Amino acid sequence: MNAKELLKKLQPLIALVVMVVAMSLLSDKFLTFANQRNILLQISVNLCLSIGMTLIILTGGIDLSVGAMLGLAGAVAAGLLKNGLALKVFGVVLQFTPFGAIVAGILIGLALGFFNGIAITRFKLPPFVATLGMLSIARGLTMLWTGGFPVTDLGSQFGFIGAGFFLGVPMAVWISAALVAIFYFISKRTTLGRYIYAVGGSEKATAFSGINVNRVKIWVYALGGALAAVAGLIVTARLDAADPKAGLGYELDSIAAVVIGGTSLSGGRGSILGTVLGCLIIGVLNNGLFLLDVSPFWQQVVKGFVILAAVAADKLGSRKE
Amino acid sequence: MRAVRWLIAIVVIASVCWLFPLFHVMSLKTATAEKVAATFNATQFAEMFWTNQLPTALEKTVTAKTLLPAFQSDAAAAKKKFSRSVGLSEGYFYFLRGEGKILSVSDDEVSLAVTEGSTNAEVSLQTGLIFGNALRDGTGLLSANDYPNSQDFNDISAALNHIVETRTLPKLREQAKVGAKISFVGCAEVGDEATDLKPLKVIPFQTKTE
Repeated sequence: MNAKELLKKLQPLIALVVMVVAMSLLSDKFLTFANQRNILLQISVNLCLSIGMTLIILTGGIDLSVGAMLGLAGAVAAGLLKNGLALKVFGVVLQFTPFGAIVAGILIGLALGFFNGIAITRFKLPPFVATLGMLSIARGLTMLWTGGFPVTDLGSQFGFIGAGFFLGVPMAVWISAALVAIFYFISKRTTLGRYIYAVGGSEKATAFSGINVNRVKIWVYALGGALAAVAGLIVTARLDAADPKAGLGYELDSIAAVVIGGTSLSGGRGSILGTVLGCLIIGVLNNGLFLLDVSPFWQQVVKGFVILAAVAADKLGSRKE
Repeated sequence: MRAVRWLIAIVVIASVCWLFPLFHVMSLKTATAEKVAATFNATQFAEMFWTNQLPTALEKTVTAKTLLPAFQSDAAAAKKKFSRSVGLSEGYFYFLRGEGKILSVSDDEVSLAVTEGSTNAEVSLQTGLIFGNALRDGTGLLSANDYPNSQDFNDISAALNHIVETRTLPKLREQAKVGAKISFVGCAEVGDEATDLKPLKVIPFQTKTE
């Protein structure tokens, strides 16, 4: 690896360090323990979404439905926990435990992601269109399931995953850190991980070498759905309520974090660690601008420019190569 | 080899589900009964509040004869001493009692003078449809923090307003005659900017005419 390549790889890290130094000079509250913990808590949901999004973008795809899947998974888990599932034919109600509700929520995400994968591979729909359809389906299902009202008062056991602490660190941060470790391992050390990079690098070459490209893609979208569901469970537990509109626009933050973290939108290049840096950059940016009392409208403008700069840097880099 | 892997996976999943059950099966009847028992019944609560809690709180009231002149001379001090506010609300509530002479009666209010010899309306007892949270928040007996669900707390207001509309007001409308003497207990909500309370709009809990 020459100096230029190394510099390109370290771009997100350098950007993060520069921002941290700048923010700590501009605000005396920025480096406090409470604020750093707050940043980690705030990025934990986006991190869960972005891990899945990284895998999907690495294969050259995109998933616009993660925010909607987040909302549906959270609503289903909350509904099952609060009201159970009535099977009127048998005259019984399945009263879900917090663990059961969590499993059900993750299975919902997995199933929706699997559906995305099938639509993209079997029906040859472009990922953009297939996941846009899923966005609408999942939002509609969430409204049907909740009747448009929030499901509240879910209990402290369920709330622990979103609002609890372990060793002084929020549980949401532990969960997202564990997912980073697991998916870093999967992407770097397993056959599936190598296949994901291969599919994104060249789908045709991967297929010619005997790898079942469709199966890899279905796995990736299903995992993306499951991770969106985990994010949904954290949001729901943290608020002690499932909001039918939860996750609105989260897909954009997630894609932004992945791109800022150095993952190429054309697939094959990028990493989970880069995405962690991307999430941190967005988190530090949001937090820093808030501490500096910058209007939320300007915050959106600044965030937009950062995303554009990241994509432009990626495109320029690819052209030179 | 594949079959063994599947078998191991099934055994592991079954063991986890046995150790940490995903759900409990209940009969539909039991579940419905439990749900009904757990559901907050605002009407029932308001009834209990009306019968048990409210009569004991009447001693916390300020008299209109004390409040009105105090507000006239120093509004800020009177507000601080006699009113209460809830959360971020910009309104203030007074829980008061008084007696006076009825000056006029209309479809939605009974105006009275509480100061001896006054011919101006100083208090206006509201007799139309009742809105807002004055009855719930004015007494200071109920706190939003005691209700995990804000909808439940809002329902208490609606239920209390309904009790007043159906029990107190019909009697008041029937008995209120110009020139008659009346005593009342009720709550009033006043905006933050108010500098003059007269006539103070009171939602009555209890009224008695002579």
